[in-house]
Amino acid sequence: MDPFLESLQQSALARFIGESGSLLGYPTILFLHTLSLGTIAGLNAGVDLRILGFGRGVPLGPLGRLFPIMWLGFAVSALSGLALLLTDPVTRLHQPVFYIKLLLVALGVVTMQMMRNRVFRNPSIDSGVLPPNARTLAVVSLCLWIGATTAGRLIAYL
Amino acid sequence: MNMNVPHLHLLLNHIPTIGGAAAIALLIIAFVRKSDDLKRIALEATYVVALLTFPAYMSGVGAQQSLLTTPDVSQTFVDAHWDAAIFTFTLLQLAGAFSWLALWKWRRSGRWPTTLVTGVVVLSVLSFATAARTASLGGEIRHPEIIVSGQTGEEAQGATDAQAATDAQLDTDPGWISGRGLGRWITDKVWVWPASEALHFIGLWLILGIVLIANLRLLGFMRAVPYSAVHRMLPWAALGLAINVVTGMIFTTATPDQYGLNVSFLWKIVFLVVAGLSLLYTTVFEGPWHVDAGKEPPLRVKIAGATAILSWVLVMYFGRMLPFLGNAF
Repeated sequence: MDPFLESLQQSALARFIGESGSLLGYPTILFLHTLSLGTIAGLNAGVDLRILGFGRGVPLGPLGRLFPIMWLGFAVSALSGLALLLTDPVTRLHQPVFYIKLLLVALGVVTMQMMRNRVFRNPSIDSGVLPPNARTLAVVSLCLWIGATTAGRLIAYL
Repeated sequence: MNMNVPHLHLLLNHIPTIGGAAAIALLIIAFVRKSDDLKRIALEATYVVALLTFPAYMSGVGAQQSLLTTPDVSQTFVDAHWDAAIFTFTLLQLAGAFSWLALWKWRRSGRWPTTLVTGVVVLSVLSFATAARTASLGGEIRHPEIIVSGQTGEEAQGATDAQAATDAQLDTDPGWISGRGLGRWITDKVWVWPASEALHFIGLWLILGIVLIANLRLLGFMRAVPYSAVHRMLPWAALGLAINVVTGMIFTTATPDQYGLNVSFLWKIVFLVVAGLSLLYTTVFEGPWHVDAGKEPPLRVKIAGATAILSWVLVMYFGRMLPFLGNAF
């Protein structure tokens, strides 16, 4: 598999991102990755905290409109992450913590969609009554984003 | 106008002392007059002084870096000033945090939380005392005209020799209650930096998430939500900010050389001040507070909402650009 990864790393696109020294290459992509992480994890955390009882005066229904923004965040995150991976696939794909991060992000996104389907698309949402597993989903979601962020940071150190 | 970071420090260093004293004076007058309006202004002033202490402190880190290569400046004096500054900075940030929380509670209930306000008074007085000491130690760094002990040339030379010896000693063992000692502890423990990085990013999304929800409402999004309800969630953004101030101080204390004169860091601090002001606006001002359910926010509130989001995004941008526009890592 390594010759393939090395050819990826040597591709014109990978070299532009990683080696051009342009501010629009690696630095901007890294910033977009951070901004989209902040958007997806931060908005999830906001919804989770509301579900857990902080800001009970906030009607749940309108918060459902945040999910498309979270999905946009995920799209930017995935694309920018892919571009960053392209610059150093050989190292990254041999790091266990990298796979842990991917797993936690995947579980986080699944939890996000479960929250959307079970809580925000539930007909009883406007009555303010939460389905029984809503709080569990909120706690799991918070833990997953904390874990994914930590694993993501540790990629640079492990 | 030609201004560098050390010059900037000489201007901004008046904020914690003079600004701090003004805020304390306002607090005292507010209590004597039993005026709620004055209390609010005094707490807002305390918060703003704490916020402006960021550029004051960080420009000092830059000045310190410039002086490292200046032969006739004693690092012992610089370090003594730095240690006092860290102490003052910490107390002022606590005063600012207490002020913010008191203002947030007042906005929600119309009553002043006595314990918090008392805490602000105590912390402000303590931080004024340490700020005065910091200023005095800073003045000694390079102002021979204010040394009044009547030293002869020979005595001064003896002092310089003793100073050189102390400098050499400081180089080996700074003691841990000092900027240099804390910095060494942070860099010696391999887990501290990565753990702080992870926390700094968790703090980042906590801030961004809550700021987005609150300020998207102020831009007219999710109109069924009354602003006073999302206001309830603001302490989570404040918690994220607190986490990031602590972890950010860990980074700058451990490796001041990466931040002090870094142009990207300078911009990060500028937009942090703007973002901090926008947090104050969305916490206590009338405009956002009266954006009720179903109400379209007025234009000035929308501008404030956009400014809040944009300034936090720029804080993140210049934070991310530290190694690329500047010299970090």
